[in-house]
Amino acid sequence: MSVGLDNLKHVVVLMMENRSFDHMLGALHAEDSHIEGLTGQETNLDTTNEPAKVQPQAAFQGQLDPDPDHHFPAVHKQLFFGTPGPPAVPSMQGFVQSYWDQQHDVAHSRKIMYYFAPDKLPVLHTLARNYALFNGWFSSIPGPTVCNRAFAHYGTSFGKVSLDIFYLMEPYKSIYERLLAAGRTTKLYYFDPSSSTQEVVNLLKNQPEIFGTYEQFLEDCKRGLLPDYCFVEPNYSDHPGEGGGELLASDQYPDHDVQEGEVFIAAVYNAIRQNPDLWKSTALLITYDEHGGIYDHVPPPGCIPDGFHADLADTGGVPFAFDRLGVRVPAILISPWIAKATVVPGTEDPVKGRIFEHASIPNTITQHFIGNYDNRSPREKAAQTFLDLLTDQMRPESDCPSFEFD
Amino acid sequence: MSQPPVVRVPKPARSSYQPHRVLAKNVLLQSQVKHFREMEKRLPPEHQSGIDSEKIETEGEAADYIRRVTQKLRQAGGRAQ
Repeated sequence: MSVGLDNLKHVVVLMMENRSFDHMLGALHAEDSHIEGLTGQETNLDTTNEPAKVQPQAAFQGQLDPDPDHHFPAVHKQLFFGTPGPPAVPSMQGFVQSYWDQQHDVAHSRKIMYYFAPDKLPVLHTLARNYALFNGWFSSIPGPTVCNRAFAHYGTSFGKVSLDIFYLMEPYKSIYERLLAAGRTTKLYYFDPSSSTQEVVNLLKNQPEIFGTYEQFLEDCKRGLLPDYCFVEPNYSDHPGEGGGELLASDQYPDHDVQEGEVFIAAVYNAIRQNPDLWKSTALLITYDEHGGIYDHVPPPGCIPDGFHADLADTGGVPFAFDRLGVRVPAILISPWIAKATVVPGTEDPVKGRIFEHASIPNTITQHFIGNYDNRSPREKAAQTFLDLLTDQMRPESDCPSFEFD
Repeated sequence: MSQPPVVRVPKPARSSYQPHRVLAKNVLLQSQVKHFREMEKRLPPEHQSGIDSEKIETEGEAADYIRRVTQKLRQAGGRAQ
């Protein structure tokens, strides 16, 4: 066990919404070739058979309207356009065609290839440059939010690939219930009651005691009261604050302002960073639930089947046995015990590459805080864990960036 | 001791705030409202919001509905049936 792991008392996961790896971080390949981002030559054909090239022209807001389709059938087209479909390797050639389906506007459909220039995302890019960036972290399902977030909470989506309500099935329990039963502490912090949680059906109903608000998260960081494991949800809507004022959605879901998400990520990081005891004993994972229909160039790999088969009504008639992953998303692990500019190789490295997905979260937390625990999905048991990235060497204060707000 | 590098974080434009954005533009928020509606149906009548969620048209209205049901769910102490 590394000294960093030996010192670890808390793990915090912040899960944002609907942005692909290349869209947010693809530009970083130009400054570090180990980062599996964009060369600038990647294309998709549009519906006039003209190549639509990736462009560093992504905007904070007003560009991806309508919200790009990311239900299973649309993602299937994004992945497999021009192929016979699975088991063929995904072509990653259907993103523009899929976005065209929504408005039949060729010029607009090409914007699905846009990515952020480095100066646009100072927070995410600073964190990616300074801590551990995963080249191979994939969403768990080629589909939308709810089923993907389920893999982070339960290690499975119980056979669902949609936004529909789902219910837990024995013997699987949420990571929160497992931790409480083992005498550990845990919290799911939602932003505020107006934003609340995506886990209303299975957790808010039954487990109101596990919930807190973002304000409480900040207070718990300040007072050193953070639980062993916590999950932070961003603000999902523009709405008035409890005490007045205007609260912007910070989830980065299109067409919410990406810059407000940057502010939120920085504030979560700062809350941990500014408490010296917490900083040296906490690992913060920042990731995104899924790609939101936005282009990424890396074909998602196969995975261990989950023991379920999706309803064909939800997949557009495509058989799906939860045996392949969804589109790649940003993921960064942050701790002063992580070597600066660590890049964790993914599918581009057939020898050292490691593949992560959201089931990696409950697997990592269970192994670290509970130990042996058998009643978990096959996907979770097979998922890679990530705390081995903590080293024996704690970086000095002067080597770890902090954020200040304009 | 040298100071840590400080990165400035710009704030978004004020015009980004759009609580009147049409709910139909955000399938996640629509699904969240649907989930809350299903949960609310299972609460005792005294803990229900009285809001017809089918009539919610904007993001701000959705947030107000979610706030009320979240508070009711917590008041009910997880006693949804």
